Amino acid sequence: MAKISFHHSDGNVDVLDVDPGTSLMRAAVTNGVDGIVGECGGQAMCATCHVYVRPEYLDALPEIGEDEEEMLECTAGPRDETRSRLGCQITVGDGLEQIEVDVPDDQI
Amino acid sequence: MSATVEGRCPFGFGGDSDSTSVMTPSQNLGTQAMAPAALPATESAARVPYPVADWVDPAALISDPYPTYERLRREAPVAWVPALKKFLVTSYAGCHAVELDQEIFSANVSGATMNRALGAQPMLRKDDPDHAADRAAINPVLRPKNIKEAWAPVFERNARMYLDVLEEKGPGQADLNRDYAAPVASQNLIDLLGLKDVRVEQMRRWSHDFIAGAGNVLDDQAIWDRCEASRAELDAILDELIPFYQQHPNASMTSALANSGLPFDNVAANVKLTISGGMNEPQHMVTNIVWALSRHTEQLDKVLHDDALWPAVFDETVRWLSPIGMYPRETTQETTLGGVRLPAGAGIGVVVASANRDVDHFGPTAGEFDIFRPKTSHLAFGSGVHLCAGHWAAKTSIGQIAVPLAYQRFPGLRTDETRPETWDGWVFRGITSLPVTWN
Repeated sequence: MAKISFHHSDGNVDVLDVDPGTSLMRAAVTNGVDGIVGECGGQAMCATCHVYVRPEYLDALPEIGEDEEEMLECTAGPRDETRSRLGCQITVGDGLEQIEVDVPDDQI
Repeated sequence: MSATVEGRCPFGFGGDSDSTSVMTPSQNLGTQAMAPAALPATESAARVPYPVADWVDPAALISDPYPTYERLRREAPVAWVPALKKFLVTSYAGCHAVELDQEIFSANVSGATMNRALGAQPMLRKDDPDHAADRAAINPVLRPKNIKEAWAPVFERNARMYLDVLEEKGPGQADLNRDYAAPVASQNLIDLLGLKDVRVEQMRRWSHDFIAGAGNVLDDQAIWDRCEASRAELDAILDELIPFYQQHPNASMTSALANSGLPFDNVAANVKLTISGGMNEPQHMVTNIVWALSRHTEQLDKVLHDDALWPAVFDETVRWLSPIGMYPRETTQETTLGGVRLPAGAGIGVVVASANRDVDHFGPTAGEFDIFRPKTSHLAFGSGVHLCAGHWAAKTSIGQIAVPLAYQRFPGLRTDETRPETWDGWVFRGITSLPVTWN
């Protein structure tokens, strides 16, 4: 199992243990994590699973693809030049056994 | 802490987020009864209790579906509706839950008239991974950057062209649907699809024939004949167009499909799907917005003084008056939804137009039109992998171009109460005639 922590701006944290291969978006939507919408089901066609990845995990992430880059320009909350990612494009397991992200206040 | 980057998205959406959805068990089932004889086919042997809404009247749905939706949400948000031979899901939580699980709630529904109407199974009736292969081909065309850079200028040209038509008709004769919404939506789709030398009337006829075929549950032969004739016309065009775009790719959807490696039938079915689902809805959004703003003039005044409000106008209208009211799913196994047990093979109607007015999701003012309500996710474009591929195109072409330009061109634009308007439908609902006037 891999561990994902969603930190909310009010200080609450949702900690999920999920199967390897699960995306942050899917984990959040399946478990009802507040503040992650995941409207398009993981196709990088919306920008409603925006997260700010905590710095210590950034090196373990895959590069931002062209589609993700385009959609990161459409986030409702401000884009952070290093920490903003789409939750649907980050999968845990395989070198990323644990990750912590901050959930933006706005997704739509 | 790194610096934040201002989004450069062409779409000015912002505001509060509320994605919370809590499943609520069905309660207060005033009309609950034991299942009647008309059970779903696969469960005919079992006699299981679930709410039955035998009072739902299709004629009442067509005339104004919202009172029926409200009663269903209150009494039985997941209910078997004998008149439709389907379970209708009318709560936000229920509709959202269906969309989250394509393994249990399949889009590949049995007896799909859409597959026959379009000549092959389009992506809308497939589940992943088959769906994803088709969908991936068109997503790049329909992401915001390509819409803004390649298509917004085309959408603006088309809007201005038909504003001239509207002006010629004049404030005593103009019909916003006939003279503007319909031809603009049709021409936009012709261009976005990259269909050369097709006239707006031809596109509208194809669209109507395919939609009629997709809804031809009564197996009317005349409808199949019209559908087949339109399909043949389009296939003849695609026979030439697909090889052309393989040699000369451009920013259109047909070009993207032609270069996707998908077989011809697949490409053709998805072009037809786009023709079926890409015309009426943007057309209805033009008239729905003007109808809504004509009845909420205080909000209109604010919009006319602040262009930044147009995205909220589009979003609130598509929630309040959703052009797509219901779409089908089918259970692949026995399951429970909102506390109601559903058999395997059950036909489900996902009533997003009802979900979009659910007080449990939008609060006590869910039934009101309010462009200033807190931003809350709605289901007008669906949700999950079948989320409308054209949602960025619609928000741009209609919400940011066609409607704002009409108000700019005609000060005092409003519905004309002295001439009758007409509405039609509930599965697809829209205004079929909307007389308008201006100062």
